[in-house]
Amino acid sequence: MLFWVIAAILTLGASLAVLLPLTGGGKGASSSSDHDLEVYRDQLAELDRDASRGLIQPAEAEEARAEIARRILRLGNTSQADAAGTRQPSRAARLVATSAVLVVPLLSWGLYSQVGSPDLPSQPLAERLAKNPADSSVDELVARAEAHLAANPSDGRGWDVLAPIYLRLQRFSDAVTAYRNAIRLDGDTAAREAGLGEAIANAAGGIVSADAQSAFEQALRLDPANPKASFYLAMALAQEGRLAEATAAWQKMLGLLPQDSPWRGAVQQALADAANRSAASGEPATGPDAAAVDAASSMAPQDRQAMIDTMVAGLDEKLRQNPRDTEGWMRLIRSYVVLGKADAARDALHRGIAVFGADSEEAKKFTALAASLGLTATE
Amino acid sequence: MVETGHFALVLAFALSLVQTLVPLIGARTGNQRLMAVGGPVTVTGFALTALSFAALAGAYASSDFSVASVWENSHSLQPLIYKITGTWGNHEGSMLLWVLILTFFGALVAVFGSNLPATLRANVLAVQGAIGATFFLFILATSNPFIRLNPAPIEGRDLNPVLQDLGLAIHPPLLYLGYVGFSICFSFSVAALIEGRIDASWARWVRPWTLVAWMFLTGGIAMGSYWAYYELGWGGFWFWDPVENASFMPWLAGTALLHSAIVMEKRSALKIWTLLLAILTFSLSLLGTFLVRSGVLTSVHAFATDPTRGIFILCILTLFIGGSLALFALRASRLTAGGLFHPISREGALVLNNLFLTTATATVLVGTLYPLAVEALSAGKISVGAPFFNLTFGPLMVPLLILVPFGPLLAWKRGDLYAVAQRLMAAFAAALVAMLVTGLFVNGASVFAALGVGLACWLVCGALTDLAVKSGFGNVSPAIMLRRFAGLPRSVFGTALAHLGLGLTTLGIVGTLCFGTEKILSMHAGESVELSGHTLRFEGLYPAQGPNYSEDRGRFSLIGADGGIAAEITSAKRFFPVRQTTTTESGIETIGFSQLYLSLGDQGTDGSVVVRLWWKPLVTLIWGGGLVMMAGAAMSLFDRRLRVGAPSRRRKQPAAMPSAGVP
Repeated sequence: MLFWVIAAILTLGASLAVLLPLTGGGKGASSSSDHDLEVYRDQLAELDRDASRGLIQPAEAEEARAEIARRILRLGNTSQADAAGTRQPSRAARLVATSAVLVVPLLSWGLYSQVGSPDLPSQPLAERLAKNPADSSVDELVARAEAHLAANPSDGRGWDVLAPIYLRLQRFSDAVTAYRNAIRLDGDTAAREAGLGEAIANAAGGIVSADAQSAFEQALRLDPANPKASFYLAMALAQEGRLAEATAAWQKMLGLLPQDSPWRGAVQQALADAANRSAASGEPATGPDAAAVDAASSMAPQDRQAMIDTMVAGLDEKLRQNPRDTEGWMRLIRSYVVLGKADAARDALHRGIAVFGADSEEAKKFTALAASLGLTATE
Repeated sequence: MVETGHFALVLAFALSLVQTLVPLIGARTGNQRLMAVGGPVTVTGFALTALSFAALAGAYASSDFSVASVWENSHSLQPLIYKITGTWGNHEGSMLLWVLILTFFGALVAVFGSNLPATLRANVLAVQGAIGATFFLFILATSNPFIRLNPAPIEGRDLNPVLQDLGLAIHPPLLYLGYVGFSICFSFSVAALIEGRIDASWARWVRPWTLVAWMFLTGGIAMGSYWAYYELGWGGFWFWDPVENASFMPWLAGTALLHSAIVMEKRSALKIWTLLLAILTFSLSLLGTFLVRSGVLTSVHAFATDPTRGIFILCILTLFIGGSLALFALRASRLTAGGLFHPISREGALVLNNLFLTTATATVLVGTLYPLAVEALSAGKISVGAPFFNLTFGPLMVPLLILVPFGPLLAWKRGDLYAVAQRLMAAFAAALVAMLVTGLFVNGASVFAALGVGLACWLVCGALTDLAVKSGFGNVSPAIMLRRFAGLPRSVFGTALAHLGLGLTTLGIVGTLCFGTEKILSMHAGESVELSGHTLRFEGLYPAQGPNYSEDRGRFSLIGADGGIAAEITSAKRFFPVRQTTTTESGIETIGFSQLYLSLGDQGTDGSVVVRLWWKPLVTLIWGGGLVMMAGAAMSLFDRRLRVGAPSRRRKQPAAMPSAGVP
């Protein structure tokens, strides 16, 4: 409501700025020849000053004076013409005046109704964070928690609460930081370690990296029955192409999980995927696992792709510099296959074999891995 | 508040249309009332634009992420100063700043223009209104800063880290004051063309505007150059980058305009040429805006690229440049030419200056646009860089700089070159000595370096000679000389200061390019390095935390002659997590006019870090000279000659008294 009052006042002011000069008596403005005369007088005076300072020679000064005088004379003629040219306001002028006064409110309200959002109040951040938490959205609550943690970065409990929320909001790298802080400040628990592993894996687009694996292994040491850690470790096996072992691990999980466990569905899905893959081996797998795809699919596709590509490219680059890294090569080959880049995977396979020599133990390992992933050394 | 700003912007657009059409029709039909509308409408339009800008700045300051532009270019953790400067650190906001300054200048003409002939004033305001209207339309149609988001995100995407610097608070406003200031000269020119006559007061009005615009543009370019120098961490002060050229071209043309306007004002000569220059200068400002804003060039200035914006600006460009030049072609023949002068005279010198400056402008224009044309036509990319400009722009500038001291000493209408040369003997001798001293006694000085130092010295001494001669040095007693010196018109000081500043800038450029040294090396903590007689010790890398970034600070100690620590220099690598960007904060220690400049490179695995070191002799003079030039322009502005009195029939004209001055 207040906005409309302000808008009306502004419109009124703007219309008055047009209206008042139109209704006011047109002051008898001086003609342009009066202005010119003033300037020429000034030029004459300045000429005298320049001459006295020696900036212009006396003869030239005299000539310049004559030039200015001629201009003043010419002025006399034009000013008479000017006087004759002034006309009385016509009907056309009144039409122009009326439309000018009308166009301001009509155009501004018309245009604003098209582009404006009059119902949307201003939302300064401080005000949004200060309102009752019950009215806040999840984003606002997270922002409030972040502000609190920025002020008290050693509040481990705060990090512990925030970390799973980040995970759910798919802010995976924030989740990694939060879990690390919680572990650093309040010590490690199976839930925190497993959460950390999940965050790392999801940040990498679902690929269970060495970092993630060690976090899951730590979780299992703390709680051998942790379902999340077992699930993802099996996933790592599947991603390496060790489908049989992965299937075994998942089946073992199914046996141990209680009937109402939310993990049962995920495990059964993973088993089905693994079965499909071993049935259709030769077809490159397209995605790491259902859960991760599901999780990452709500990210913008190009973001997700960019994130994965960056990570894989980083690994590739590292291997070009330090090529004697068996684990690294296996991870790279697997990553390319997972990404569906068969050519790149083949290239990585050849490069890896070239590093260690075709007859080496490592080369055999690579070839076996490639075969298990359905990748052949040649087209 | 945000929507109030949005509404005010729309209202300002409506008023700008009234401002364009009503005074124009009034001037055509000789209707006083219609012409009188121009003033109040212009002032109100400015007030509304200011309100709109304040609303946007308020949204930025309070992190109102329901505004799309704030969400894209701000973050709640930024320090308040960068939240506020972020208002124009993006495409939408910077365009709003552009029209704010445009309407501000229009309002100045409306408020202080009561001593202008009524039709001229009406036409000027109409043209100014037309420029405003197109830009308001551009903003509302393609770059609206008030687009809202509902629901509002809770956190913004942060301002480009390179822009999170005090330079953003100074550089764009100054540059825009310069760019847009020339719009007034443009409006005056087009108004004169519409009327088909140039009033005598025309030049008196255009010259101060040119001075103001030129002063701010000089400051804006100098500030931009210094900002690039310390922020980008490459140690260079000018890259002949198309974006830099875009601001440099109006400066060159504006400098020419400044000088030809003097001739026009004093002698009523060069009228048509001055008119054309005023049109060209603002056209180059518009071209600069187009190049930078359309995304044709990729740089830190092209905040976001959007083809519709580019096409829109191209239309504005065609409309104003094409329209004004067509008008010029139609009407120029009707304008009367002015006073006569001998080739060797002050007027002649200023014409020569104009020839050099416009040729230089054309050179830069070719160097800037040619690569774009090649890319558009053949899809190949070529780069026209420093070598091209050194070969073309340099040879044009050297003779111009040599001629500079002659100009102010030559008499009007007919000068005596021989007498002027005699007066400049002292300056010439000083330049020669400087050249010889540099050549013989400075290690590693090339012939070019010696000549450059000589040239700079010639400019500085020439400017001082001008002041000395005009106060009667050598002809009168010291007491009279002092009195004369104090009584010199401010514009004489302005000229001398501006030319002195040019000399200082030249000296800075020559010093840095010819005597600068640099080193790139990998250092461990505790190691020392020597560069041009300065010993630096690397103390180590220390992590630190900023409000919205984390940084690795490299601390260096400058070891004094006695072995103690003379100064501490810090250079840092800052990481901004929101944009995942790293910036380099260079470390600079100013010693006299020279600077020791260092920036951190990558960290090695063994704890070493790559350090780039520069010794830049006299480098601060480059920008110091710019400040002196600004001071000269400011001095000239306060010359009472520029205050033209309004006609008053009652006033008697005392024959010997100067008639200028506000009644």
